Amino acid sequence: MRQFSLFLGKEWREQARSFKLVWVPLVFIFFGALEPLTYHFLPQILESVGNLPEGAAFTLPEMSGADVYASLTGQYQTVGLLVLVLAFMGSLSGERKSGTGTLLYVRPISYAAYYLSKWTAAVGLAVLSVWLGYGMAATYIVQLYDPVPGFPDVVLFLLVMSVWIAFAVTLTMTASAALPTGGAAGAALGILFIGLMIDGIVGAYWTWSPWKLQAYGLAFLTGSPDSGDLAGSLGVTAGLTILLVLSGILLARKNASKAKV
Amino acid sequence: MNPVLEVSGLTKQYDGFRAVDGLTFALEEHTATALIGPNGSGKTTTLSMLAGLLRQSSGTIRFNGAGNDPRSTIGFLPQYPNFFPWMTAMEYMELAAGLSGLGSREVRTACEKTLGFVGLGSAGKKRLGGFSGGMKQRLGLAQAIVHRPALLLLDEPVSALDPAGRREVMEMLKELGESTTILYSTHILNDAEEMTDQLLFLRNGQMIEQGPLHEVRKKYGGSGYRVLFADRKAAERFAGAAPWDANADGQAVTISGESVSMEELLRFAAEHSQGITDIGRASIRLEDIFMKVVEKP
Amino acid sequence: MSFTEQLSEIPWGLVWPLIAIQLILMTAALIDLNRKRSTNGPAILWVFIIIFINTIGPVLYFTVGRRHS
Repeated sequence: MRQFSLFLGKEWREQARSFKLVWVPLVFIFFGALEPLTYHFLPQILESVGNLPEGAAFTLPEMSGADVYASLTGQYQTVGLLVLVLAFMGSLSGERKSGTGTLLYVRPISYAAYYLSKWTAAVGLAVLSVWLGYGMAATYIVQLYDPVPGFPDVVLFLLVMSVWIAFAVTLTMTASAALPTGGAAGAALGILFIGLMIDGIVGAYWTWSPWKLQAYGLAFLTGSPDSGDLAGSLGVTAGLTILLVLSGILLARKNASKAKV
Repeated sequence: MNPVLEVSGLTKQYDGFRAVDGLTFALEEHTATALIGPNGSGKTTTLSMLAGLLRQSSGTIRFNGAGNDPRSTIGFLPQYPNFFPWMTAMEYMELAAGLSGLGSREVRTACEKTLGFVGLGSAGKKRLGGFSGGMKQRLGLAQAIVHRPALLLLDEPVSALDPAGRREVMEMLKELGESTTILYSTHILNDAEEMTDQLLFLRNGQMIEQGPLHEVRKKYGGSGYRVLFADRKAAERFAGAAPWDANADGQAVTISGESVSMEELLRFAAEHSQGITDIGRASIRLEDIFMKVVEKP
Repeated sequence: MSFTEQLSEIPWGLVWPLIAIQLILMTAALIDLNRKRSTNGPAILWVFIIIFINTIGPVLYFTVGRRHS
């Protein structure tokens, strides 16, 4: 426990001093503000850009609050995941490559404390960023759109989303425990995006998966998701996350010998 | 005698070659041992295995008197220690000390004392990103000793330093050696000569010579004599005329101590005194032993 | 519509947070760039990327621009 808090203090300090604590949340907040604004002002924007034939009529679909949340989620599923993977891809591999890890690994450290402190800091920052991003979006959505989803439904959606984000970040951390930084980023992005692609193509046949969580979460905003499928997906995701954490700890220990001396 | 560390048959096998091949040695308490060998002879690999960074392919490493995690009794200084550039020296020391098991109450004083000892007392608040090579080496030593380890493993502790810094660090190591067992690798043999109880010579991963300094010295010519001349010609003439084993090297002639006594040498020198500037006893330098050992077939 | 009219039509109350975020990201990236000397590629290139590419510029710097050594 002492080691965990020492390591967590180090992670926290590193996030603050490398500005990670600033830029990761700001990217999510930025998109959270941009998405509702863009859709609201799309007609004006198109008009001012011009180039439209005289008399061309636009029939933009009327967006509801829930539609904007869905479209922002689409952004977070691409740019958001990319940012998270890039932010955390070097968490463990970077300390091996630079050799800063060497002087930690020669001490009587617990690799569980080592991995879990990084995991806590990364998942904490990622989930916080996502909440802040949707929070920002919510303040715009309630001003610009009608109808808007109720507050409790948005919270339920965010809770489900948090589980998915925690899974994505855990995958990145364990990839970083297993592989060098570049490989870790490739593996994490590959698994996340290929998963989303497969889910898009044949997802109808498979209802329990981490990649389904965002859709089930969004369903809270327009009605309610199938509670059995949601529970199943949450269970599968939690199980996979625990497996990833355990293998991350083992891999961090195993790969300590790859640290630059 | 009470060995702190006993190593037997230590081997590290990589695809196709053995970086370390069957090392067997022991480190007695409060002694200093120098690990000597050319580049690529397996010094760093050996130290990495002892530090627990690398797992040996075969052989045993036994720490006597260590708890269940031998890493808590070790202090390790790599050749080029790497630190988190965004940390301050004091923050780093507190992390290192805490991870090595020092209680929260003793951490602060231990860190201050250690930073003072290595000459970084006033740099505690500085970011490590701005540290010079010499300062990093000092901090590297500080993090290795802050938890008062029974065994210090140092990989080329002084070779990156300038002569003044080297001198200072050697003095620190000597002071530490009074209460700590030290194993260090070096290729600067003057340093090894200065602080060593035992020598381990490595070549191609194998131990080709080992033993206390005085024994190794005796084996490779022991003490002898050195006669200095005003010029090379005189030296060569003297060596050529001498009836015993004498080697001319520049303006000096070295004579093995086994082949002749001081009286005989002086009697001979009295008859061939032309160009002699100095006659004295000389013990064989570690550097000469090193050359002989390394070139040995 | 004149340029000033266009400017006054922009809903500043809604847009200023975007500009603020933009400026904070840019400032943070420039401070960080000034502090450490090692970047992947020339530092001056990163100054331009940070200043002239909206939002993405600073993020690119933070993710792939810094070299850890």
